[in-house]
Amino acid sequence: MAVRTEELLLNVGPQHPSTHGVFRLVVKLDGEIITDAQPVIGYLHRGTEKLAEDLTYTQIIPYTDRMDYLSAMTNNYVLCHAVETMMGIEVPERAEYLRVIVMELNRIASHLLWFGTYLLDLGAMSPFLYAMEEREKILDLFNELCGARITFNYMRVGGVKWDAPDGWIDKVRDFIPYMREQLDGYHKLVTGNEIFLRRLKGVGKYDAQTAIAYGLSGVNLRCTGVRRDVRKDEPYSIYDRFEFDVPVATEGDCYARYLLRMEEIRQSLRILEQAVAQFPKEGAVMAKVPRVIRPPAGETYVRIEAPRGELGCYIHSKGKDKPYRLKFRRPSFHNLQILPKLLIGENMANLVAILGGIDIVLGEVDC
Amino acid sequence: MAHWLSQPLSWTTAAVFLASAVAMLLVVLLFVTYAIYFERKVIGWIQLRRGPNRVGPYGLLQSVADVLKLLVKEDVIPDRADRTLFILAPVIAFVPAFAVLAVLPFTETLHFADLGVGLLYYVAVSGITTLGILLGGWASNNKYALLGGMRSVAQMISYEIPLVISVIGVVLLAGSLNLKEIVAAQSGGFWNWFFLKQILGFAVFVVAALAELNRTPFDLPEAESELVAGYHVEYSGFRFAFFMLAEYVYVFAMSALATVLFLGGWHPPIESLGFVPGLVWFALKFAFCVFFLFWLRATMPRVRVDQLMTFAWKVLLPLALLNLFLTALVKELVA
Amino acid sequence: MLGLAKGLGYTLRRLTEKKVTYRYPDVPVKMPDRFRGIQHFDPDKCIVCHQCERICPTQCINLTGKPHPDPTKKGKVIDTYDINFEICILCDLCTEVCPTEAIVMTNNFELAAYSRDELFKDREWLAANNTNVRSENSTNLLPGGKKS
Repeated sequence: MAVRTEELLLNVGPQHPSTHGVFRLVVKLDGEIITDAQPVIGYLHRGTEKLAEDLTYTQIIPYTDRMDYLSAMTNNYVLCHAVETMMGIEVPERAEYLRVIVMELNRIASHLLWFGTYLLDLGAMSPFLYAMEEREKILDLFNELCGARITFNYMRVGGVKWDAPDGWIDKVRDFIPYMREQLDGYHKLVTGNEIFLRRLKGVGKYDAQTAIAYGLSGVNLRCTGVRRDVRKDEPYSIYDRFEFDVPVATEGDCYARYLLRMEEIRQSLRILEQAVAQFPKEGAVMAKVPRVIRPPAGETYVRIEAPRGELGCYIHSKGKDKPYRLKFRRPSFHNLQILPKLLIGENMANLVAILGGIDIVLGEVDC
Repeated sequence: MAHWLSQPLSWTTAAVFLASAVAMLLVVLLFVTYAIYFERKVIGWIQLRRGPNRVGPYGLLQSVADVLKLLVKEDVIPDRADRTLFILAPVIAFVPAFAVLAVLPFTETLHFADLGVGLLYYVAVSGITTLGILLGGWASNNKYALLGGMRSVAQMISYEIPLVISVIGVVLLAGSLNLKEIVAAQSGGFWNWFFLKQILGFAVFVVAALAELNRTPFDLPEAESELVAGYHVEYSGFRFAFFMLAEYVYVFAMSALATVLFLGGWHPPIESLGFVPGLVWFALKFAFCVFFLFWLRATMPRVRVDQLMTFAWKVLLPLALLNLFLTALVKELVA
Repeated sequence: MLGLAKGLGYTLRRLTEKKVTYRYPDVPVKMPDRFRGIQHFDPDKCIVCHQCERICPTQCINLTGKPHPDPTKKGKVIDTYDINFEICILCDLCTEVCPTEAIVMTNNFELAAYSRDELFKDREWLAANNTNVRSENSTNLLPGGKKS
């Protein structure tokens, strides 16, 4: 005789400790098994794309800071990169190096925060504070460079706002071995932990075809064995000058995603090491750009590899100082789409493991 | 104490019993206050923080302030909650936690009830708390609380079985269910303590005890990242304080029980250290047990709920049974 | 089991490490010079060019000018200058465009207030906020990245 069970409708969020912001998930539960999941987004929608139509290009840069607020440097870059592409501006070498350094530092900071909060979701408290400590070091570097810790507003069309202050590059150089050491510590603390392994291995699994069909990018795609990294495939900025690997796994589960993100920190450190070594002694950090930025009429689409995946920026210009249409392809938004499919049939306890493993930032999802 | 216990019940003995119970309550409250403080400090240190340091010197009054805040808070009972059960639940959860302390011997002379079936009493009474948690979760009329309560009951009932079976090995070796006699059987150096002779039983006991206490890595009933706060999500003020109190009194009780059963109670590790009072030894071992709990909490992620159940029934229970069988076999062959 | 033990060893080792927290409210935090804090406004330098008002992405700056009191001089002088810190995002663009460095960043960042009204800062307040003024300003953003 089957036991009669009653469906339970549970609202996870919008204020829930594991949704990392204002994300709401309506799940139907049968016991602790999820039978249906419906993500509800838009609680953080600010209409950045629409607002941008009324702002000059320089004014949009602070708005991009607030999309993926864990990796504002890459957001800054994608907008500047798009405008520079349209106007054909040659960015000075020193500025390019500074851009790569800050973007890779920001990638590390972003992955660190993901690592910490993910472990926090899984119930371990200390890794969060350790990761925050390392992230703090990066934020201090940023603070010294551009005067802000989260919303940098650092890049400008044609270069960067500030040159590196004296000794800053040395501090970045010192950070690299320190971070490597801490990373080994994380592996000691977390990666071998049997409880942790049992919670992640085989959870939230999908294959390459599904990933591509859902338009996933970044680690969420690479964990299925697809070797795709915009930095390697279509090098932008000066990424073609650096040697680094694109880590790929084939399992497609949460554990693979965890390992890939940790490995990406290592690869970013490698890039940083080379960038710091090759850093030009002097030079301008700003190209000659007109006082008022007016990209020629036309359209352009550029994409870069943000920590969360492929970040794209589409600009349609009518030759004015404001964009006619601006559109960001935000990786978090696209990566989130696979969530309902992954959740159905899973245990409620896996919800946080799967949601956290996708690594979304609500500022970017809602934009 | 033994002297008082053996006398017929009169007004004097009743007064003495009452006074000692109140004294014990105060000791336990003091312990809970500073266990919470110490927990936050230790976890803070591990996480490169300082822990509470604002209220009083070194933050020593932090827990006092927290409790005070809970006591003056508005008492909220949800509109659709089952009022009677909602009020009753924290009491049901707390009373057994305090009642189990009655059988724990701290030294040869310092103890309360000297029951012949002390161990059995402990296990039986502590099971009642589960009821309070389930009632609290159910009466709140909140889905998260209900899920938390259900998880809690499933977990605590499942782990009670390996817990009991793992300590039967100790009972076999000591030949008694009386906790005093169990300690007496471990005299004469640390190689006589049962955690060595009962290494398998001890391991099972530690895991099962952690699960019984709802502490990391088995803190699923209050997994804040999944269930917000678990069964006490609707509780506030002093009712919430009662749940917390029950939880920490169990930390006290379980640590004391582990000390008594496996770590030789008040016996010194080497005979020649016998000049140090037994209470000090007991306190040291007890403090180590408590520290171990905090240390685990700072290190471990949470176990998943289905794995938790599998682990109890498929791993711990067979291990506990194996331990029991081996102990019986060895005892039969050696003795 | 080995993984669990390793983790326990790691946390135990960190237990005795040096603590990294700041003693913040007791000891003020020293921010690096470039830190973008609350603006300082110098009315004497302002030429009422409205550039800061125009560049502001959130339109939090409001300013009005009046004719120069000395009728022999041309141009305007500043009359009112308000920044609404409810919406100011401290993005640094106003100081970047200011041709006379009349508005500059300071390292002061403590903006918390009990009332939202207190976040509306006027000319006098901004002029009085003259401590920890940033020494480096927008000057190195000249075309070509030259430092003046």
